[in-house]
Amino acid sequence: MSVVSTKTETPLTGPVGEVLHLLGDIVTEVHQCTPRRGIARIDPARVVEAAQALIAMEGSRLATASGVDVRDGIDVLYHWCFEPQGFVVTVKALAARPELALDSIANVVSGAIWIEREIHDLFGANFRDHPDMRRLILDDSWPQGVYPLRKDFDQVHDRPPLPANRPPPEVDASGPRQDLPAKAGRTIVNLGPYHPLQEEAEFFQLYVEGETVVDMDVRISYNHRGIEKLDESKTFDQVPFVVERVCGICSASHPLAYVQAVEEIAHVEVPERALYLRTIVVELERLHSHLLWVGLAGHFLGYNTVFMWAWKYREPVMEILEKSTGSRVAYANCKIGGVRRDMEDDQLREIDKISGDLVKPLDMLTKAVLDDPVLHARLKGVGVLTPEAVKLYGATGPTARGSGVPIDVRRDDPYGAYDRLDWDVQTAPGGDVFGKAVVRLKECFEAAKIIRQCVRDIPGGEIDAKVEAIPPGEGVGHVEAPRGETFHYVRSDGSNRPVRHKIRAPSFVNIPTFKASCIGMQIPDVAITLASVDPCYSCTERMCSIVDATTHKPVLTFKELIRLSQEKTRRMRKE
Amino acid sequence: MALRNWALRKSLWVYHVNAGACNNCDIEVLELLTPRYDIERFGMILVGSPRHADVLAVTGICTRQAMPRLQEVYMQTPKPCVVMAIGSCALAQGIFTEAYHAALPVDETIKAVDPDAIIIYVPGCAPKPEAMIDAAVKGMAHLKTLQ
Repeated sequence: MSVVSTKTETPLTGPVGEVLHLLGDIVTEVHQCTPRRGIARIDPARVVEAAQALIAMEGSRLATASGVDVRDGIDVLYHWCFEPQGFVVTVKALAARPELALDSIANVVSGAIWIEREIHDLFGANFRDHPDMRRLILDDSWPQGVYPLRKDFDQVHDRPPLPANRPPPEVDASGPRQDLPAKAGRTIVNLGPYHPLQEEAEFFQLYVEGETVVDMDVRISYNHRGIEKLDESKTFDQVPFVVERVCGICSASHPLAYVQAVEEIAHVEVPERALYLRTIVVELERLHSHLLWVGLAGHFLGYNTVFMWAWKYREPVMEILEKSTGSRVAYANCKIGGVRRDMEDDQLREIDKISGDLVKPLDMLTKAVLDDPVLHARLKGVGVLTPEAVKLYGATGPTARGSGVPIDVRRDDPYGAYDRLDWDVQTAPGGDVFGKAVVRLKECFEAAKIIRQCVRDIPGGEIDAKVEAIPPGEGVGHVEAPRGETFHYVRSDGSNRPVRHKIRAPSFVNIPTFKASCIGMQIPDVAITLASVDPCYSCTERMCSIVDATTHKPVLTFKELIRLSQEKTRRMRKE
Repeated sequence: MALRNWALRKSLWVYHVNAGACNNCDIEVLELLTPRYDIERFGMILVGSPRHADVLAVTGICTRQAMPRLQEVYMQTPKPCVVMAIGSCALAQGIFTEAYHAALPVDETIKAVDPDAIIIYVPGCAPKPEAMIDAAVKGMAHLKTLQ
């Protein structure tokens, strides 16, 4: 139950209380505290001080910040997660009208660079001393001064005129970077927005000196659809269908995180059977997503056998997902208070069989990837992300665990049936692309283990708590999606629609880590590093032929190159 | 023109464009390449450049940022080419019709620059790979009727 108290009245206990005590008199008011959640208002003039204190605390991580349009201005809610204790402290600071300005915390926490740019785009809040305040989310033709997530913006009637037909503008609306002036010998290599084999449209600019990448920049917006605003026009029960379409590969995790946030507001006790069913679906999703990544990573490296194998063994998982939920990719199984559909016993048995049968091919695939000397040479020491950078950027999921940072929402803040099952958090040292691959492969085995235990232990009974109304309040829900933590914040005013629904997908914090992992690398290594956080990004493989300048005859022929590669592989195998 | 149409009767090459999709359709497009569905038996293959393509497989609602770029990619594709609008979003923006960052559906976006564009609609959210194969085969049949 929520305890509403002001700071002077009830001394707070538990880990949340400790954090708020450490913040001292920066905290002006405590709104709501449960053992794992705390919401406190802070002095808006001391935002930076608060961020410095919070980032210095043991196990803290800035999950995200949400803007909320309120009467007096824009409320900025910084959500801090603490691991491994697994609680969330939300500190609110009001950017009051008319300036709508706060001090930027991006110089203290690098992860806030994108977060603050996003709030600036969507709400028009200003952040003083932000290092790089350019447009991030909205498109090039979007007019200045129109902020779509404000309450006075109607998503249908206030839409600005459509952008002009082709050709697209030469200069990006976000403008050139201020902090990286042009220099002799420095070239910009553009990757994207439509790029061979690239799943989604993103636009990368690599600043290179010779072959070495000295800096890079990312422009997104191609996939921005405005889901957070759309959710405000849907009822609580309709929202899961929208958030399922945030990302097709995390289409079980996003609805689950949303549903958990709403259940936190309504204090719902979810039936045991529903918890197990939810766990089965999200773990099947993890299996198919990790296999997808392993295949694509092989594809990017020119190792197409792995691509075909991984996707072949992924196919039974997709099949059983379709059989048990009705769709290969959009499962629609999660609802507030439980799940929408039960699973029959024979479906559960088949899930058990498929997860069991998968272990052997997984074993083969793991050996093929991890024992290959070429892959060792290609992936080890490439794109290293240090544990310090993980903390500064707030990276999550396999991206963090591949750097030896053992954070996992499933263990730290258990949901579903995870606290009743026997499984381990998988980490790998090194922080390179190889480490991330190891983590994902090992997690496939864990996922199969978790699914089999769920099928064994699933209790009978109800699958739905039949929630009728959502009271006013605010809640957070986070779920360990295949790519990392997906974080949802929901605010309700007692009506049948959310007032605000903030979604932070794992790639939003993982993509900015490129800045930490790609700099100083060679261009060909950038492609796989970009792919290693699993945003499904690739780069053309290029081939050059060396020609003797005087005789114009090729120095190395195709056959010779193959012979050289084979010799090198043999040599490396011996070493 | 006749020679070009003749050349399009077999071995269609496909370029995949994501114009603001949720990845559901996109992974199903990639699925076509893999052993279970194996679209290469129809001579189809995913290629790395629109300039090599006969078919544009377009997914997504066509966001404001993607709109002029999708048109540009379409113009770079040699004609005649077939546009496959894959999924509810590409057909009519699906659940995102009211979203503020949505531009026009894929067919309208492309017809704004080429009124004679050939468009195949593949409904579903997400359409199953079988549906995409069906659409591709129908597209090939249609191309054979062109003179």
